[in-house]
Amino acid sequence: MRTKAAAIGALAALAVLCAMFASSASAAPAWKFETKSLEGTEVVLGGAIESSMTVPGLTTKCEDFLYKLTVENSAGTGKGSLTEMPLYNCTTNSTACTVGKIGAEKLPWASHLTTVSTTPYIIIEGVKVAIYYEGEECVLGETLVTVAGSAGGSIDNTKETATFNSSTLSASKTELKALGQKIEWNGLFPTEAFQWHREQALSVS
Amino acid sequence: MQKHRTRVGVVALAALALAALGLAGSAQAKLVGNYTKFAQCPYENTEVKKCIYSTTNSGEVVLGKKVVPIEKAVVLQGGYGAIQENNFSKFYGASNGITLSKAQQNVPGGLLGIIPEASQPALVKALIKFFFENKLTGVNSTLELAKPATAIRVSENNLSGENGIALELPVRVHLENPFLGKSCFVGSESSPILWQLTTGTTAPPGPNKAITGTLGEIEFLEEGRILEAKGTKLVDNAWSAPKAAGCGGILSFLVTPIINAQLGSTTAGNNTAILNNTLFVGSAAAVRKNNTENP
Repeated sequence: MRTKAAAIGALAALAVLCAMFASSASAAPAWKFETKSLEGTEVVLGGAIESSMTVPGLTTKCEDFLYKLTVENSAGTGKGSLTEMPLYNCTTNSTACTVGKIGAEKLPWASHLTTVSTTPYIIIEGVKVAIYYEGEECVLGETLVTVAGSAGGSIDNTKETATFNSSTLSASKTELKALGQKIEWNGLFPTEAFQWHREQALSVS
Repeated sequence: MQKHRTRVGVVALAALALAALGLAGSAQAKLVGNYTKFAQCPYENTEVKKCIYSTTNSGEVVLGKKVVPIEKAVVLQGGYGAIQENNFSKFYGASNGITLSKAQQNVPGGLLGIIPEASQPALVKALIKFFFENKLTGVNSTLELAKPATAIRVSENNLSGENGIALELPVRVHLENPFLGKSCFVGSESSPILWQLTTGTTAPPGPNKAITGTLGEIEFLEEGRILEAKGTKLVDNAWSAPKAAGCGGILSFLVTPIINAQLGSTTAGNNTAILNNTLFVGSAAAVRKNNTENP
């Protein structure tokens, strides 16, 4: 009698465990085009609608913040590889500092999709951007400033955009650091396919 | 005619006086606001690119077996030049010559802490007794630059990147007490203690273990012309120190070995410097401009 009860108990525990794993597996979203899961790879690219980085007292904005992301679904989970990210027309809010050189380093950066409280997120890892500020009166003149870390942005399937800001970085437990500080990064990026699924609705779920 | 000449002379003198006042005015131009910290930065020298003013408010220096907490503020000030190929900048000492301020730190335990009475030669015992009777038992430790300020090296990339040597400081420790005389030092110009301070993580030989510094919390002031870092922690625990020398005046041959025995081993791995700072770095060009704008 006791053995039977123990076996039933063990089975029930197993069932609970399986359900937990099934639920966590279904939580990992995939790239979809016209609601169908992406097969093979696709290239998503675009330019930031707006993007700025702030260390207290100094904000740097880039007008042309482009990106090229190769995406695929691997074992049902959306993955990606950010292969290009040229930055142009970058300025600061300071009258003393201009942006001399700026560039992404150690590309490609790996990315994956995840879900945070029912909202799909893209997490970009291994971010590294080098910035040289210029200006004789700029205290950062000649100093190499490296922005590094990981960044999580929420994906809006309706607007087909990814939004990065302090809330999304905090919600996704990611952070970008520069000059030893956690920095604020705001960015709004369109997500649009430019290869096999051009002009098809891109969604993540 | 004579009157006219006199009048011309008076006018000329008055003009000269005004000119002199004007010159005096420009010589007395002063820094205002956030720039006042850089008053001793040699910013008039155009090779100086940045001005630095760093206050060590707390921390500790461990020299062998002795721990000296930093309780009185120590100021490092001056300027530094363009970043060279080796990633370091040449340092320029403070205009008033006080690049590293001398703040006497109390050595815990005082004289008995570094010269215990037991088992000392009779002469030393008698002298210690005399100093105790006269309440001259406090010992101070003062950090001094062991070499000219030009021997200091700064790497602002390492400082901001929290990796590698941010500040290289050749120092000596002056142990002060009437009993120890005026020349009791650990480190000298020819054999300085070389602190290679980092805001990153150290890699010391044993028995010390790795410790980590930080740039702290930064803020840009004056629209990016000045950087203020609060809670900057500079650390080095891989430095070695020479033995103490010159302690005890004419009894140096007796006293110095006692102090060295009390310090214990001061080879690398036995010493630590932890400096908690508030740091200000300013563009020298901006400081120059502030100076000329405020005659």
